[in-house]
Amino acid sequence: MAIDPRHVGRRYGPFRSTVCADRIRDFAVAVAGGVPGHFGATDGEPHPWSVDEEAAARSPYGALVAPPTFGVTFAMHPFALACTDPEIGIDLVRLLHAEQEFEYGAVVRPGDVLVTTGEVVEVRTKGALEFMTVRSETRNQSGAVVLVGRWTAVVRG
Amino acid sequence: MKTLREFCVGDTFESSRAADRYRPIYYAAVSGDFNPIHIDREVAQLAGFPDAILQGMCTMAWLADVCTGYFGDPGRVRRFRVRFSRPVVVGDTVTFRGRCVSVEGPVVRVEVEAVNQRGEEVLKGASAEASFQE
Repeated sequence: MAIDPRHVGRRYGPFRSTVCADRIRDFAVAVAGGVPGHFGATDGEPHPWSVDEEAAARSPYGALVAPPTFGVTFAMHPFALACTDPEIGIDLVRLLHAEQEFEYGAVVRPGDVLVTTGEVVEVRTKGALEFMTVRSETRNQSGAVVLVGRWTAVVRG
Repeated sequence: MKTLREFCVGDTFESSRAADRYRPIYYAAVSGDFNPIHIDREVAQLAGFPDAILQGMCTMAWLADVCTGYFGDPGRVRRFRVRFSRPVVVGDTVTFRGRCVSVEGPVVRVEVEAVNQRGEEVLKGASAEASFQE
């Protein structure tokens, strides 16, 4: 079943998220090859400004900063909801994440209160493949944009 | 901390990351993406894959880590873009090879190739930009 283009314009949110230092640290550690909750056990090297509060205190930001793709924790909800929206009716077994784009504004730090909204902005077909793109926009407690995401799913025929 | 004049077109950087058995589960825990295709081998096989596949966003997080290593400062990143061209399956190792392709005004742009242990591309068109406006 093809994704109906009339779903373009469908909106999700707002979603509110409070950024937590431990969650930033666990995210950076897990991505670097370690076990969440066990800082110090990584194979890779998370950026010190995302895991080490003393190093971060000496950085230009003065506190931990989120790694660039930490946005998945607060900005993915509109995309996840669109993919599982019964009105849109995507078969999850045939669904894959196809493309991702992020544009960054202000850095994200512990204590930030973020609000994300999202909208289906494109539905297209390419051969047996169907694509759906959701645009998310996240602002912080000062009203500054911190992240704009374009999340594209592919449904395999 | 790096400054703008330390970036040159033609700079290269490289790093590898392993999708061990537990990586998709740990990534699910920290990202919230618990789609069963990433954590349940049987569901992944139902979808036509040999084993659980890593979240695309984890591959992108690896890309971001590697690029942030080159840029030196996670807060300078302005843009990331990727296409997920082939799933990363549990057991795979992904090697990222980046190259600085332009330095225009304060904006440093890199393009990155990401291949698995068989040399197959898992990302296409991967690029990142960072701004070093003083």
